[in-house]
Amino acid sequence: MDYTDDEMKDFYYTAVRMNTGIDYKVMREMYDTGLIKSHRDLYDLAGVPESRLNGYALSDRGKGKIVEWLEAEDKVEKACERYMQTGAQNGIFVLSVESREYPDNFRMLGGMPKVIYGKGRKELLKRASKYGSVAVVGSRNASSYALYATESFARDLSCKGITIVSGMALGVDGKAHQAALEGKGSTIAILAGGPDNIYPSENRELYRQIAAKGLILSEMPPGQQPLRQYFPSRNRLIAGLSDCTLVMEAGDKSGTLHTASYAAVQGKEVFVLPNNIYCENAKGGLKLLEDGCNVLYTADNVIDSVSQAILCRKMEYPELSEGDDEQEAQSEGRAAEKEKLAMLRLKADRSPDEVTEDEWKALIEDRLSVKPLDIDSLSGFFALPFYRLSELLIALQMSGRVVLENGKYALTFF
Amino acid sequence: MAGKPSIARIYSGFTRGTDCVVSELEISVTPGIPTFSVIGLCDSSIRESQGRIMSALRSAGFKVPKGHVTVNISPAYMKKSGSGFDLAMAVGILFASGQIPFPKDKRVYAEGELSLDGTVKGTPGSAMRLNKARTNGFGFILIPEEERDSARCTGFEGQCVKTLSDACSVFGFTGYKPERFELGEVSSQKTDRPDISMLKGQEKTKRAIVLSAAGFHNMLLLGSPGSGKTMAAGILSGILPPLDPEETGDVYALYEALDGPSAKISQDRPVRIISPDITPGKLLGNTLSMTPGEMALADHGVLFADEIMQFPSQVLDLMRKPLEEREVRLFRNGITYTYPARFIFIGAGNPCRCGMLYEPGSRCRCSPGSVRRYMSRLSGPFLERIDIFSEMRSIGKDDMAHMYADEKDAESPVIREKIAMCWQRQKERYGGRQFNSSITSPNIADSMRLTKDILDYCSELASKGLFSARGYQKTLRLARTIADYEGRDDVIRQDVSEAAMFRAHEM
Repeated sequence: MDYTDDEMKDFYYTAVRMNTGIDYKVMREMYDTGLIKSHRDLYDLAGVPESRLNGYALSDRGKGKIVEWLEAEDKVEKACERYMQTGAQNGIFVLSVESREYPDNFRMLGGMPKVIYGKGRKELLKRASKYGSVAVVGSRNASSYALYATESFARDLSCKGITIVSGMALGVDGKAHQAALEGKGSTIAILAGGPDNIYPSENRELYRQIAAKGLILSEMPPGQQPLRQYFPSRNRLIAGLSDCTLVMEAGDKSGTLHTASYAAVQGKEVFVLPNNIYCENAKGGLKLLEDGCNVLYTADNVIDSVSQAILCRKMEYPELSEGDDEQEAQSEGRAAEKEKLAMLRLKADRSPDEVTEDEWKALIEDRLSVKPLDIDSLSGFFALPFYRLSELLIALQMSGRVVLENGKYALTFF
Repeated sequence: MAGKPSIARIYSGFTRGTDCVVSELEISVTPGIPTFSVIGLCDSSIRESQGRIMSALRSAGFKVPKGHVTVNISPAYMKKSGSGFDLAMAVGILFASGQIPFPKDKRVYAEGELSLDGTVKGTPGSAMRLNKARTNGFGFILIPEEERDSARCTGFEGQCVKTLSDACSVFGFTGYKPERFELGEVSSQKTDRPDISMLKGQEKTKRAIVLSAAGFHNMLLLGSPGSGKTMAAGILSGILPPLDPEETGDVYALYEALDGPSAKISQDRPVRIISPDITPGKLLGNTLSMTPGEMALADHGVLFADEIMQFPSQVLDLMRKPLEEREVRLFRNGITYTYPARFIFIGAGNPCRCGMLYEPGSRCRCSPGSVRRYMSRLSGPFLERIDIFSEMRSIGKDDMAHMYADEKDAESPVIREKIAMCWQRQKERYGGRQFNSSITSPNIADSMRLTKDILDYCSELASKGLFSARGYQKTLRLARTIADYEGRDDVIRQDVSEAAMFRAHEM
């Protein structure tokens, strides 16, 4: 994998942040004083003489740190190259606030990393933003009850097209990813170390599957080992990327509680699976409930919360989803789809025997997209015997595409 | 001095509810002041027979014996009623008084009401009585000419008589010429039933009706006023195959017991329509007069409850047990009378207060709460006895045009043939007159030939919330009927998914 110049600058930014004393305060100062306009400018700043800094109203501490960095430029340069090399070897991509694929949810929050690294299907980020995402987190040594609930909720939500976000840890996290992979939805794992760093190693196979069908993300550059202190920060990203958080089981001092509190701070709903009060490993979750979190007992409530979040995102940040190329591509796709449907309709009229099952389903969905209809009206539209139509409708109902309301079939939201 | 009384023995019968008893009559004539007494817990209809018998005897040219005439009807502990003993009593008096010779070594059975001029008339309940008398090995069986139909239905051997003199001549010079009665050709009155093709644009209901007939499944039709619910009941009776001879006998016996000789033999299946103002007595049967109720009268046919939502819940709950057991029980004086009630139950009603819930668009003005309350008039246990649910919406103007434009051939006769074949399949599989809806067996899956795959698929549908746990077995039964109707030996997934369509309503 080759990286563009801009991407190289993203790597450089990370190298600076990881290897020098420049922290978020110094960054803030540089922005405020106008020294840099974007994180990518750091790269261009590397070669300038110290004297240029005098023109900006930097604090002594800030200036000291920058000078320190400029003196140790070699080290940073080397680190950057190492990152890029490891990244290229492992097929790691890089995203920054400047790029369009950067997650909308991160953009809406403050304090999210400017540069993130990932492996897998980048497009899932847009999808998560469009159809919503849920963080499913919990203990590493969870009870079988929590694991069962995790599997059932993750699968149900995934079947509705919602992306499941978690941390690929043992226990609940891993289960959530697995269930999501089995469903039709996608899943995103956020790691504490670099995206090429499989942790825990027991989940190697799961990692491979997620990298193939889902997405692995990290704020750490390729090659970075997961250190103890990185985990809370990673939990912040899990909460930040998703629209609401499900806490399946959390002990008294569990890292899961971090995720929950980040979610709460970010103004997102937290659902907690109620558990046995005598179960030591569930105390943290029960405390969350005491503090006023939602009780997780049906997926419907979660879906409501997610659709609300999607709506908010659309209302408050219309620019996030509108006017971009994807939209155009979509409308083009839609036109093509319309044409295809028109052809299908003709085919259904002339030679109904040749229409395949999926095509019938598309035709039925097309009819229902106008308004809910009862089965008698539907059978009036198609030259289908009743038993075939009922079979198709039952299949659509099973997959959650269609629901029966007041005797009429209606399309579901997703 | 009173001499040794001359006693004649003769047999007749009476019915009480579903019970039928052959009773022995002893008639004694002893010299003395003329009296006439009947003993043996008889009601006034029997005691009044004195007038009819005396007059009939004189009209036929016989002498009324001078002396005490005592008639004892056994079993003496059972209450009896009905005028059917007249003929037996009259013939017995003639035997006892020696006016006609008493046949040695042969038992005589006679029944019929006498009129003053000696004509013999039929009495209600004859079909049941003859069925009993048939197997009792009587040497002479005399029945009124009017009871010929009853005799035909029971496959009976005996002689019809028109008058008392006819009856007497059997023991005289003309002799006993028994006739073998058979059902023979029965004319069908089935003409004015609406054809199923009238249900244009209502595919679901159409299919529901066919399946209901094919497996004797109970059905609930909910739809707006004017969507053709009542017509659906007429269509159903039109596609049911005719009664077989045995069933014809069952049905005739019941109607004959109610209406007497004016009942007609018919192979049409009975259709009983009940409305919300029905009393429990009319529905289950009256224990006082021992008349069968509508549920018993619908045996082998259809019971149609119009405006089912308006039925008081007590009445609906009364129907629960008979629907489950397929028989009605009446209790009187510590005795249980059981009427079979193997009918298809169809309930028709509105889905909500305004009735427009299923109409295209959103014409319903009811709040969700009111819809729920309205639906909850049908209790869970009652719904549990319903196999098929179908919504009906009023037909649009396009459908109307179709309905009258392409005047197609009647579809009902073709479907009736298919249903007859479907019944045959079920009969062969279960043995006896059993249907998919009624078969009870410890292992339904085995007796219905359901594979593991089908059972799994069905539970998968149930777990997706398409129907409840109690709907599980109903769905399987209905799927079996669909497979039978389509002529398949094994149930396939398609059958189950179609069956599930008819459960969707119970949510």
